[in-house]
Amino acid sequence: MIVLGIESSCDETSAAILSGNNILSNLISSQDFHADYGGVVPELSSRAHLQIIKPLVDKALKESNLNCADIDLITATAGPGLIGALLVGLTYAKGLAFSLNKPFIAVNHIEGHIFSGFLMEDKPEFPLLTLVVSGGHTLLLYVKSFMEIQQLGTTVDDATGEAFDKVSKMLSFGYPGGPKIQNASKIGDEDKIKFPVAVLKKPYNFSFSGLKTSVLRYIQKNFSNVNDIPEKEKNDIAASFQKAVVIALMQNTERALHNYDVKSISLVGGVAANAKLRNEITILSKKYGKKIIIPSLEFCGDNAAMIALRGKSLFESGRQDSLNAKPYPSLGENYFHTS
Amino acid sequence: MKLPYAVTVNDEKGTEELAIKFAKELQNGQVIILNGNLGSGKTFFIKKVMKHFGINYVNSPSFAIVNEYESKIKAYHFDFYRLMNMDELFDIGWQDYLNDADAVIFIEWGELINEALPKERLEIFITILEGTMRKFEFIKYE
Repeated sequence: MIVLGIESSCDETSAAILSGNNILSNLISSQDFHADYGGVVPELSSRAHLQIIKPLVDKALKESNLNCADIDLITATAGPGLIGALLVGLTYAKGLAFSLNKPFIAVNHIEGHIFSGFLMEDKPEFPLLTLVVSGGHTLLLYVKSFMEIQQLGTTVDDATGEAFDKVSKMLSFGYPGGPKIQNASKIGDEDKIKFPVAVLKKPYNFSFSGLKTSVLRYIQKNFSNVNDIPEKEKNDIAASFQKAVVIALMQNTERALHNYDVKSISLVGGVAANAKLRNEITILSKKYGKKIIIPSLEFCGDNAAMIALRGKSLFESGRQDSLNAKPYPSLGENYFHTS
Repeated sequence: MKLPYAVTVNDEKGTEELAIKFAKELQNGQVIILNGNLGSGKTFFIKKVMKHFGINYVNSPSFAIVNEYESKIKAYHFDFYRLMNMDELFDIGWQDYLNDADAVIFIEWGELINEALPKERLEIFITILEGTMRKFEFIKYE
């Protein structure tokens, strides 16, 4: 079965083609279409998605040596994300499905991430414990099958990626913060400062707002001016902060390993690119004798291959969506079952 | 709450009480800008306002740019932190959000794209004082 996936929930436009479980093509706008279109287009923009989407899908088909008519199933992200951005990919996909008279599936972006481990050669096994860490979300989920997802915990304030971005800004490292903090951490002393790890009423929830504030307080207390922080100190703050984030994520993951019957663990989402996090969750999985699957970097960030794969599993379970499917901005409170 | 209004709260509990007081006077179509440093509690304040209306899933929209909530009231929760310029804001449908008279709009880091803000708005300035203490100032612009 040939599946086309389209993703346009936020900054990236992406198009992918799967043949069965094989990824024939997975194109991402920022990497594959950097300055190919004329004029100045804002980075974050529905217009940019609009300009890129058709050439990107065409290129994905060409790379796969296929024509439009070869596609058996069309999938696109419907949410959560920016409505204007989502509309572009979703509408394009629905139009294509209508004109080609092919089945269509509207995919939840987070579900795409949850199952992105299945894009790897070595696949996760159910029951699966999945930690989703990205710019907008931080979720711990117990996944019993492709159709049974239970939410154990979520962030009550800032997402992991956001905490990285904000601390990066405090240290005047710039945006995006993830790679910058990671690089500074490599040379910094992660045991220099003991930043707090939030203790919450619900044992699997996360909170990074307090950590962010305590980094800020530390900076204000010790340095009169942000521009006065010596490089070495900045690296130590970055490393100590990164350590606190990883501890918070690992604590809840380990707690879940104690209380749930798990065969494998998966770390997914944009922040899954963080080397320390990848390393620590691998150590944790070995300690508990669980299989660990972390997607390669290409599939950690937003990508259409994960959307196509998720769409395919939904289609195979018997679902088919109407061409009236609408985009939605948020995950909402009860999207996943919590017990 | 008679504007302009200024008050100092001791801790998160004080902020919550203030947020509830504020929520009771909130009206559809209002645009509220929250200004304050990282960690001053902008998101926390909005979270407690929305809790008053039965919405318990407010989190920071720094990455998403805008969160939408709907229950007893409809609210758009913006964060301009990551936006580079006004073009980006207009390109994600700013006018459509702004023209929705049935919704309340909260904007964190509104000062980053000052020129996009409507003339008629309420600005909240949060200043970090010692420890958990915060100063809140409410100023109306018309």
